[in-house]
Amino acid sequence: MDADSDVALDILITNVVCVFRTRCHLNLRKIALEGANVIYKRDVGKVLMKLRKPRITATIWSSGKIICTGATSEEEAKFGARRLARSLQKLGFQVIFTDFKVVNVLAVCNMPFEIRLPEFTKNNRPHASYEPELHPAVCYRIKSLRATLQIFSTGSITVTGPNVKAVAAAVEQVYPFVFESRKEIL
Amino acid sequence: MTGRVCRGCGGTDIELDAARGDAVCTGCGSVLEDNIIVSEVQFVENSGGGSSAVGQFVSLDGRRQIHHLGNQLQLNQHCLDTAFNFFKMAVSKHLTRGRKMAHVIAACLYLVCRTEGTPHMLLDLSDLLQVNVYVLGKTFLLLARELCINAPAIDPCLYIPRFAHLLEFGDKNHEVSMTALRLLQRMKRDWMHTGRRPSGLCGAALLVAARMHDFRRTVKEVISVVKVCESTLRKRLTEFEDTPTSQLTVDEFMKVDLEEECDPPSYTAGQRKLRMKQLEQVLSKQLEEVEGEISSYQDAIEIELENSRPKAKGALASLTKDGSVEDTASSLFGEEDAEDEELEAAASHLNKDFYQELLGGGVPGSSEAAGGPAGGGRPPALESLLGPLPTAASLGISDSIRECICSQGRDPKDASGDGELDLSGIDDLEIDRYILNEAEARVKAELWMRENAEYLREQREKEARIAKERELGIYKEHKPKKSCKRREPIQASTAGEAIEKMLEQKKISSKINYSVLRDLDSKGGGSPHREDARPQERAGARKLSRRKTPARRSGADPVASVGKRLRPMVSTQPAKKVAVGEALLPSPPSLEAEPVRPTAVVVESGPVSYHPEEDADEEDPDEEDGEPCVSALQMVGGDDYGCDGDDDDGY
Repeated sequence: MDADSDVALDILITNVVCVFRTRCHLNLRKIALEGANVIYKRDVGKVLMKLRKPRITATIWSSGKIICTGATSEEEAKFGARRLARSLQKLGFQVIFTDFKVVNVLAVCNMPFEIRLPEFTKNNRPHASYEPELHPAVCYRIKSLRATLQIFSTGSITVTGPNVKAVAAAVEQVYPFVFESRKEIL
Repeated sequence: MTGRVCRGCGGTDIELDAARGDAVCTGCGSVLEDNIIVSEVQFVENSGGGSSAVGQFVSLDGRRQIHHLGNQLQLNQHCLDTAFNFFKMAVSKHLTRGRKMAHVIAACLYLVCRTEGTPHMLLDLSDLLQVNVYVLGKTFLLLARELCINAPAIDPCLYIPRFAHLLEFGDKNHEVSMTALRLLQRMKRDWMHTGRRPSGLCGAALLVAARMHDFRRTVKEVISVVKVCESTLRKRLTEFEDTPTSQLTVDEFMKVDLEEECDPPSYTAGQRKLRMKQLEQVLSKQLEEVEGEISSYQDAIEIELENSRPKAKGALASLTKDGSVEDTASSLFGEEDAEDEELEAAASHLNKDFYQELLGGGVPGSSEAAGGPAGGGRPPALESLLGPLPTAASLGISDSIRECICSQGRDPKDASGDGELDLSGIDDLEIDRYILNEAEARVKAELWMRENAEYLREQREKEARIAKERELGIYKEHKPKKSCKRREPIQASTAGEAIEKMLEQKKISSKINYSVLRDLDSKGGGSPHREDARPQERAGARKLSRRKTPARRSGADPVASVGKRLRPMVSTQPAKKVAVGEALLPSPPSLEAEPVRPTAVVVESGPVSYHPEEDADEEDPDEEDGEPCVSALQMVGGDDYGCDGDDDDGY
């Protein structure tokens, strides 16, 4: 029952969230009026700007803090963020692109086998928590990597972590445990 | 703890036994409280000579609430005690901070239910409390994690007896339960139970078992007992139907257990989806082929039409044959043609109507947009399709059209730019498209105003209201709560300085004799008794200068004098009343050593060792001996201290 270390699993990154600052006050009203693809949420005080080229949605606050979501890779996230900053520059703000940081990466992975969740939870007591009354998946947390994995009985795993490397490492780490509690197809 | 009424007889004569930690009614003898000791707060000396309050601030309320909830769930005493233990642990780990106590209590109770294996669902608890079950679940998970308690997994079999009882099968209760259990085992092996609410599975199993034993239980009855939705139950039943077990008759089922296992339903659903996808792919391929044929027919027809028409369209013929969006778009911009004219006219007409509805004045961008994709051999009906699309979409489409028309290839080059925006790989032209020109901006502003009219109106009303109130002069400025300023730690070279600064900050009475305090400080590690004498003297002197009542220093009534002597010190430093009270206790031999009775002790809101340098001076190191302790009741002397403000924990 040894786990194969050389198994090729496709880890699909579905979302990368990043933040950056423009170090200048942004007039949300102006952006809202002159931006072509923006949604102005005045009640909460932010502007949503959606870019098409890297398909990302950015939340812009008047303090100059911007959160970018929807990218599918770290490079894409940075590229999108830069484009966004450029478009803000064109609108007339003195934008400086600083403090770019990837905050969260969400990835999906599929195991070629199903998993017995109660057994898995028993074997991985402190890290795994399973409440079938609340959520159908086991929530496995890896403190060292600051990553969380949601393991479903069909074998699909959703991983969230601070960067792509952590996500990959998390999958590597959990694979042997999941392999132990897999369901053998007769 | 006065004023409590006995639940049994209603008498108010309640005796508190500190040794056993009980509260007993002297009238009927019923025990009202036990484990009072647990809820006491003890004072412990630190290494620096200061004292701090140690213990759990478990309120009486906590225990009562646990009992109250537990009784509603019919939990036995042992479970309730365990739950109370969990609660104490939670409090000691400060898990109750920031959470509603009701939630924490419910979580403790549910934890007990899980560890004991009682058939209580989280749903039951949330029903009792009227709280969202997921909120409770979150608290429960946190509690389990923090207390490092492994809650064993829920087995649906645990719920069967409970639900069966509720469904009232009478004599055959046991048999039906047995059947349902066997069904559940079967379901487990068939992988229906992973990731599912156990109550749903139970409901399905019970329904089938009931039917097998000729009991008519409708779906509605079952769901009212089991607390799942009707559709969930039906789904479980259909899943069970899919398993081969369902094909067996009643007798067969009781005797035989099928060997093979099934895949979990979500897995089969996934497989089905995969197959559907494959089918779709095949279909789409076929569709493409068909489309290819159709387009070739279209081309042929067009050619015929063109040839039959008198006008010469040499250049355009080649364009239309290609059918590329690019060319037709450019043709729209450029030459006029019969076809395109019609298209354009239709498009602009439709768009004009549409915009006139909204604002008046067509937006050039959208008409182009509408024209763009509609170019080529497509029928103008597309315009009517595009026409009624919402503005945002049409504006969006114009963007995408322009993108398609203009250059596309742009490799994203990632260059690290710190501060300065690295423009490599960013095409300015494209970004320019993201910025609307003036006319567009106006349009957009109007649209936004319309959409957010509600919100804007509310804002205006609010402002009007405030203005009116201001005029009338009754406008209350709702200032946001100022978080209390953190005082800077006092930096002083000597303890005496520190004391002075602290007193200045706290703005306590100016009648304090600073010289006395300084002397106190200088005596530092001197013999405790002498120190005793001095602060007492000083205290006495001070007291004389301020207090109206005559001071009785030594002699007749040491306790009373102690009490009085205590008062001045206490009133000057309200924050350190108790510690000081303890500190100043001299060691008259008549006083018994008794650990400070916490029931009468006022619980501090902050740590008692606030200024260790000061405490060191004023604290009586004699404390360690335990001698100087007076019975706190006497020490505190009743109501004179006026320091009852911090009474918390329901004392």
